[in-house]
Amino acid sequence: MIRQLNLRTCGVNPDEFECVFERSLSQCLSPNIKEALKGKKIMFTRDEKNLLPVEGWGIKANPYCTTPVTTIQPIVGNTMVSAIDSSTIQIAETEEGSLYGVKSGVAISIGGHALMHFKIGPILFYLSEQTIGNSEIDHRLAKLILADSDFAKRMIRLRVERAIQMKLSRRLSKSILLVDGSLKSSLLEDRSQNIKTVAENCSLQQNSMIGISKNTRFKILDRISNPLTKIRVPAYMDVDLIVKSLVRNTIGNSLLVKFSSNNSPVLRVDVVTPNYDKDESLGKLLGNDSMVHGYPETLQLAHHISIFTNTEISCLKGHVLSNCDVIELVSEDIRKTLLGSIPV
Amino acid sequence: MKILSKNGNELVMLAMKTEVASKGDYLIIEDEKARRKMVVQIYDEEYLSSQSLIEDIVKDEVVIASSTENLHDPLNISNLSKMIRDARVFRVKIRAAIDLSNKLSNDVTWLPSRVYSNVRRLKISELDLLIERKGVFPIPIGKAGTDSEDFEVYAEDLDGKLNIITGKKESGKSHLSKILVKTLVQHGAFVIVFDLNNEYGGLAWNKDGSPSSIQGQIMVFEPGNGLKFSLDYCGKAAISNMLKNALDMPAASLREFFRIWDSLENKQTLEIRSLGNAINTWNINELVRDALISRYHVIQSSRLFSVDDNEDGLRFEKVISQKYKGAVIVISMGKATPVVRRMIVEVVLSKIVDLLEKVIIPPIFLFAEEAHLYVRDTYWEDIVTRMRHFGIYTTFITNQPDAIGDGIYRQVDNIFLFNFTNDTDLDKISKVSLADNETIRSIVKTLPQRHCLSIGKVVYDLPIVVKIAAAEVLTFGETKKFFTRNNT
Repeated sequence: MIRQLNLRTCGVNPDEFECVFERSLSQCLSPNIKEALKGKKIMFTRDEKNLLPVEGWGIKANPYCTTPVTTIQPIVGNTMVSAIDSSTIQIAETEEGSLYGVKSGVAISIGGHALMHFKIGPILFYLSEQTIGNSEIDHRLAKLILADSDFAKRMIRLRVERAIQMKLSRRLSKSILLVDGSLKSSLLEDRSQNIKTVAENCSLQQNSMIGISKNTRFKILDRISNPLTKIRVPAYMDVDLIVKSLVRNTIGNSLLVKFSSNNSPVLRVDVVTPNYDKDESLGKLLGNDSMVHGYPETLQLAHHISIFTNTEISCLKGHVLSNCDVIELVSEDIRKTLLGSIPV
Repeated sequence: MKILSKNGNELVMLAMKTEVASKGDYLIIEDEKARRKMVVQIYDEEYLSSQSLIEDIVKDEVVIASSTENLHDPLNISNLSKMIRDARVFRVKIRAAIDLSNKLSNDVTWLPSRVYSNVRRLKISELDLLIERKGVFPIPIGKAGTDSEDFEVYAEDLDGKLNIITGKKESGKSHLSKILVKTLVQHGAFVIVFDLNNEYGGLAWNKDGSPSSIQGQIMVFEPGNGLKFSLDYCGKAAISNMLKNALDMPAASLREFFRIWDSLENKQTLEIRSLGNAINTWNINELVRDALISRYHVIQSSRLFSVDDNEDGLRFEKVISQKYKGAVIVISMGKATPVVRRMIVEVVLSKIVDLLEKVIIPPIFLFAEEAHLYVRDTYWEDIVTRMRHFGIYTTFITNQPDAIGDGIYRQVDNIFLFNFTNDTDLDKISKVSLADNETIRSIVKTLPQRHCLSIGKVVYDLPIVVKIAAAEVLTFGETKKFFTRNNT
């Protein structure tokens, strides 16, 4: 079209761009992808979600796979399994700060049956310079929280979860505390209510604390999990050395666990046990909680009851509008306004 | 309540559970900025539904089913959430607007503001004031609206009009017709009822067994028992109509019959026995004689005509002149055969028309139960078009809306529509009715027993759902059953 109409192209030739790209990128990356990918097993990503190959990466992919696989025997008894999960959302912004909502869920099962669940929240938190200034949060951390809403959300979630975990770890004995995610201390925790204190309480009360991560940032763990994907019974591999070499602030014993038979996923699990008997803790978990697609049902339930529904978000906004004497401003999605939207 | 959207002549409105309104209720939308008002009617009610709301409900049900729930909800958000789940969407039809002078108008081309509009339920009494629905002869038929306000139609709006009461079996049609009949008579009107189930006799008695206020104005006639006419009184026209239409007499036989009639009339011996003798002795073709004899025997066995010379027989003008405060003439046809029913209707209607033509009697309200069972097809339009000019104002009561032709529906002034669940019946009614299809389909399908949707002149073309009042009089028309509670 441009050529047909003989329009001026401002002296820029599109072919020139190609050369520029090639030159600049080839200095750090090989442009020859054909060579690089030849014969490789490939798994395409979707929406930046963490995906795993169903049959694992295969023997060729894990040269580090020397860790032995230990099978887990379910220990059926009257051990109580309590799972905790929570979620945080940003509800609104003001000129000075942000309003967040948090919701937590605690699900309890015994003997493989769900016993009860607690829905806690939604509860609102307003974080501004003034509200944070009155708290014990470190000055630099406070700045970070006010600048980045993701940090703020993580901090609220972590602190609420720790508070519940503290309570449960003190109240329960000879039970299992299930936590969503790895057992790792964080700067965002409260000094008096941190993961280490929870672990201490668990030890005193002879509780086990098990943190289960649905996915891990450490790709190496995916690569070495192949023996577990092939095994047809619940089993685990000790990866404590690998994890400790990659991250410092974890507590307990780091494992890769497959909770169900067949094609259930291999999960990263951190275990804190009173008598260092992880086999017993995992066995009790298997015997006293049902596993749905290789994931504890209590944790699944805690997750479901802790996430915000659209209706709840609307209700929270309505609550703020009608109870907090605020003036609602009309807002726009700047990205959408600038880029436009093409419905597909 | 808030306006959500508009589509054609209907609006979609959002309401919380606490905002009480039901199908058939009228709402007034007051646009504060534009200073205009709109009158709308709820015709359908649904849940406020979205995919995420349904998913939430399902998820909650699954969670609650799997374990016992304990709630710590300091902001009481779960209650708000429940309110949203129970929120409703009303579909309303725009019926009218109210202009600046507070008068009802048809200008509904404007759109009320979604932000500045206040919506409230309109009481039936307020609606009556707006449409200036009033009259001198009220007929209280029951209660209307969510507030159960007393509701009355006016006899003036039934006067000179064609009405239809229809609905499925045991929905309360006869009940309403009895209320109409009773109150019309109380207002001094004259009513003839073609009573197929011998149930209108109960109008004479209250439920407790005491005489009703119109006991003295009720006359129940049945063939052989009061319903007897002299041939002379009926006249040649009425009898020939009866022979032709009810007894299917061929034209040739009818001509011979006229000759016999004229001869007997000249001799002043026009009565049943002489008619029989004349047919037997008259010099006519034997086939014609056979035809006349067979009809004669039907006439004789019908017990509709007085045999005795001294027997005067029923005279409508005499009955009406005696009951100057109004009367109901109940013609019981429950025990009559289909042929006799048709004969009764032919004779009565022909005679009444004759009397009205001669201005001997005042206009008559005619109530016809399941008229398709005894009124010939060609007679319908006659009733609808010609007879109303003479002064016969008919109310058809039927549970078969398809038995009434489209032509009649198009002439109808008022319809009292009881529950119909059958789609075919609803199709028929909604196609030809005075109200829109959606209103009829949605409201009528869910009407409880003894509730009707009144449409037409009685409600000034603004459909109103009415709960028909409990019967004060004895109800005779109930189905006789073998297994009763006492027998068990």
